[in-house]
Amino acid sequence: MREPRRIATAAAVVLFAAPLTVLVIQAFAEVWRYPALLPQQFGLRGFRVAFAEGDAAAAVSNSLEVALLSTGLAVLIAWPAARSLAATRGRWHGAVLLLLALPLLVPPFATGTGLTEWFIRLGLAGTRAGLVLAHLTVVLPYVLLVLTSAFSPRVVELEEMARSLGTPPLRRLVFVTVPSVRAVLTAAFLLGFLVSWSQYGTSLVVGAGLPMLPLTLLPFIGSDPTVAAALSLMFLVPAILALVLASRATRETL
Amino acid sequence: MDADGAAIGALLCSGLTVARGRAPVLRGVELEIPSGTRTALVGPSGAGKTTLLRAIAGLQPVQSGTIELGGQRVDGLPAHRRGCAVVFQEPRLLPHLDAAENVAFSLRTAGVRRVERRSRAAALLGDVGLDGFGRRRVGELSGGEQQRIALARALCAEPQLLLLDEPFSAVDANRREELRALLVALQQERRLTTLFVTHDRGEAAQLGERVALMLEGRIIQHDEPSVLFERPSSPIVARFFGSSNILRGVIRAGAITLGQCTIPAPGPDGEACLTIRPERVILARDGPLELQVLETTYTGTHTRLRLGSGDLALVATVAPSLAPAAGAHVRVELPIEDLWRIPLAHEAGEVPAQEWDLT
Repeated sequence: MREPRRIATAAAVVLFAAPLTVLVIQAFAEVWRYPALLPQQFGLRGFRVAFAEGDAAAAVSNSLEVALLSTGLAVLIAWPAARSLAATRGRWHGAVLLLLALPLLVPPFATGTGLTEWFIRLGLAGTRAGLVLAHLTVVLPYVLLVLTSAFSPRVVELEEMARSLGTPPLRRLVFVTVPSVRAVLTAAFLLGFLVSWSQYGTSLVVGAGLPMLPLTLLPFIGSDPTVAAALSLMFLVPAILALVLASRATRETL
Repeated sequence: MDADGAAIGALLCSGLTVARGRAPVLRGVELEIPSGTRTALVGPSGAGKTTLLRAIAGLQPVQSGTIELGGQRVDGLPAHRRGCAVVFQEPRLLPHLDAAENVAFSLRTAGVRRVERRSRAAALLGDVGLDGFGRRRVGELSGGEQQRIALARALCAEPQLLLLDEPFSAVDANRREELRALLVALQQERRLTTLFVTHDRGEAAQLGERVALMLEGRIIQHDEPSVLFERPSSPIVARFFGSSNILRGVIRAGAITLGQCTIPAPGPDGEACLTIRPERVILARDGPLELQVLETTYTGTHTRLRLGSGDLALVATVAPSLAPAAGAHVRVELPIEDLWRIPLAHEAGEVPAQEWDLT
């Protein structure tokens, strides 16, 4: 009974861990000649090149800034929208959700190209503000779709309880609403963050050469696997952190 | 009494109207609860009881009418500034807090220090019979315990008015008795003005110093429980409180003719509508009315008899050991002191004749 489950778990761990292990080894490989199983020499060349030629420092900070800002904005916009979507389950509920999900169905390149036309005229092309706005168009639907599931009637009931016990609106938000939706809110934020973090198309089109992590990573993939692996690690760390945080946040409220 | 002479915590609703879409839910509710007293609001499902409670608490917008609490108009105030604490049908506890923090919720949001709010919560937990439950998680508590915590939480907010919306309906019958007794004790100790919503007339009688009957969005009668049970203001009130014995006729010289028989009746001569509670109908060898037993129903505590003869129909309840068999002929006495003459002015009815569940 328990054996097959254990085998499945082990298989999942191996499948997940194997490429990661290779990536970590690759990133720290100074010399790795075929057919050796392990590199002949370990070192930090990958990271050195990534920071020197790949502009990794700027890329990480740009990516981080754009991801945090666009996700933060998306949560602020999606919060009231999700509340009203959850409160009024009208005849057009399905249609509205579909409309909101539309940006997910259009390739980001297309959205980005369309936006660039306007951003050039508005002086936003190649700026961080422009990138944040461009990412927002992609991040917002994800955040909104996740957040709609947070505001169940249960949350409204708890808020009513707080209202009747004399809690003013802002304190209600802090003491009742946010703790009640914390798991979903965390999930929405982390998903939004990861969507922005790994955004390639929009960054390429709108960014006009502004270094972003997925963009700096790509040229090295064919030319220098060690640098590519080092950049990939930098790319992966926030993603894994996000996953761990999300799973902890959901477990605590369950 | 405050400076204006109005009692602190007294509730006064007048002309309250609420509509849901085009359908009226409250049609001009008049309700007064004197300071420090308990009223049970009773009525069938859909009468508007919960809507009235929510309107008073400020959780339901009203179309017209006024609400005064302690002599102050509160209908323009948001819910959190009205000073009404609500105990809902469901406990509505916060799952991320332990029992003590749930009780001390109003102190927590007001920024009271942890040590102080936990000691206040501990005292209140003791008051509701949950000594030492402070550290329990919400998920570890039974439904009755959760509802006790909800009650303690409401008391902790020191409200002007305590509103309870069928709070014990999800608790099993034996525990419900305990909770009713607890609520009455706590209310009396603190002299809290209290409105208790229920659909159960027995619960209303036990809990209310006064009982208000609500039908189709109006308060029909508001008085002491015994008055609603024994001296109903209309046949509809009589039926809701379990007396379907409505006898119509004309009183002449202090007597009324029912079927082939004339019995003494109260009040002046004229057209009359009389009612008598089923438990006051006496089966007596020398009773003036002769009726046939049409149906007998054993209810656990007594046996209900459906009696009839021609147009005359009566319901009587008797001890199971004394119950005659169906089909038997029995003689019945209706003591004049137990016959209540329903005022005819109300009989035509502010409330349109309608069907609702009388079980």
